[in-house]
Formats: sequence, structure tokens, C-alpha cells
Amino acid sequence: MGVEIAALLGFFGVTGFFAAVGAVLAGWMAWRICEKAGFPGWMGLGATLLILTGVGAIIPFVLLWVFAYMRWPRDDEFAAGHAGAGGWSPAGPPAAPVSARGLPPVAGPGGALPPPPRSLSAPAARFRLVSDRMSIDVPTMDGAYLVTAAPATTAQELSIADPSIGTPHARLMVAGARLGLEDLGSAGGSFVDGARLLPEHGPRDISTAQTLRLGALEFRLERS
Amino acid sequence: MADPVSWLLGFGAIALVLFLLFHLLLALLLIVPTWRICRRAGFSGAVSLFHLVPGIGLFIVLAVLAFSQWPAGESRRQGL
Repeated sequence: MGVEIAALLGFFGVTGFFAAVGAVLAGWMAWRICEKAGFPGWMGLGATLLILTGVGAIIPFVLLWVFAYMRWPRDDEFAAGHAGAGGWSPAGPPAAPVSARGLPPVAGPGGALPPPPRSLSAPAARFRLVSDRMSIDVPTMDGAYLVTAAPATTAQELSIADPSIGTPHARLMVAGARLGLEDLGSAGGSFVDGARLLPEHGPRDISTAQTLRLGALEFRLERS
Repeated sequence: MADPVSWLLGFGAIALVLFLLFHLLLALLLIVPTWRICRRAGFSGAVSLFHLVPGIGLFIVLAVLAFSQWPAGESRRQGL
């Protein structure tokens, strides 16, 4: 009889130990994920530890769904033009009216060109997109340029006549020696060094990127 | 009267199917929101399919999100 009781206690002891370790690990990782999204870390830890309470697992489930679909403070930081590492924010104060992501708006057909920035913190660099079939010089003037398969009608459009390129496809942003790219929901997609750039990623700094894929076209990013 | 072994095998098969269905349902409830979280973080949504791994799937997905640099950028307010 004593052996059975000892075995049961041992079984529940081991199970409880693994459950406790799992809860601590999950809480720690949830803490880090919440911080990366811009929330206080204790929110993730608290949501995870709710599993241990009598409420059960239903509350963390609901919170996971809410977390997935709510707006994160990180998005607001990027929208305010304070992108963190890997994000994009133009160098120097913007002189033109800025869009929701803190970038000069693209002038539409017949629209006025955005005025040049008051100051540049870095000298202008010339970027060139080179593929086997074509070579495209990215304008050196600061501003946003629409990449489209349609014929360019303004100076703010870069036409790439290819069926895999959308109309529009992406937006290239030049700010001094920096180059940014934002996918505009194109079907062919945009890839930076092999990584897919999605519209929800917003503008990304690609100044140091090596390769760029727009639709089916693979480009090398050259600088001069 | 059915053979007890056959009865046990049948019961086991039904239990296994029910367990698999429950596991798939639970995984689906986790995969849908996690897919979106992974996409927003800049990862492929397919990372969330690790939830299909019984037992440790949740921890794999959490570890990827917690300990990797998010390609889509992270908040600058970490550790404040």
C-alpha cells in the first residue's frame, strides 16, 4: 500500500514539476514577446500565469486572440516615425507634410513635388537596381518613388514593365544616403535579401541590403 | 459477448481518434491568432504550425517569437 501511495505522490510530483517549469518558461517568453510588441512585460507573464488559477485556460486563449488583432504600441512608434532597429525613419527633420508613417507623401498625377529637406545628415548616394535584363537608377533626390508596371507619368514613378510587377507594386524612399522600401500589397511580392516584405511591415531601411526581388525580378542593389 | 481484447482495441481506437480531433481543434485555436502574430512580427505565418507538435509545439512558437530579432521591428521601449 505504501509503495502505491509513494508512486502516486512521485507521479504527481514529477508532473507538477514539469507543469511549474513549463509555466515559468511560458511566462518568461510571454514577457519578452509583450515587450517586443511595446506592452509592459508583466502583462504577458500575468496572462500566462492565469492558467494556474481556477479561471483555467480560457482567459489566456481569449487574451491571445485579442493580442493578435489589437493595435500594438510598436505600430504607433513606427507610425510616429520612430522606427527601432531594422525599421525606417528618414534622416533629418521632414520639411514636407508627412504621411501616416512619417514619410513624404508621393505626389499624385499633377500634384506638387515635395520640397527638399532642410538639411541632410548624409551625402546623397546613388543606388542602382541591376538585374540580368535591366538596370534601374534610383533617383538621388530625396522623396518617395512609386514602383509600378504602368508607364511613368510623373517624376515620382519608377516604371518596370514586367507582368509580375503590380500597379502599383512598392514604394522606394530616398533620404540622403539611405534607401527605404515599402510593399504596397503587390501580388508578386517584395523580398529583401530573400525575406518577404509585407505591407504591414511598413517602410523598411534597405540601405545595406544586397538583393531585392520585386515580383519575379531579382535585382542586385549597387551603390556608387 | 465480445472478446475483451477486441473491445479494448476498439475503445483505444475511438479514444485515439477523439484525442487527435481534440488536439487538432486546440491547435487550430492557437494557430489562427499565432499566425497573425508571426506575420506582424515579420516571420512566416507557417511558424505557427509548430502548434501541431504535441506537447512542446506551443513552447517552440513562443521561443521563436521571444528570442529572435523580429524582422518587422521591435518596440524601443523594451526594458524601460
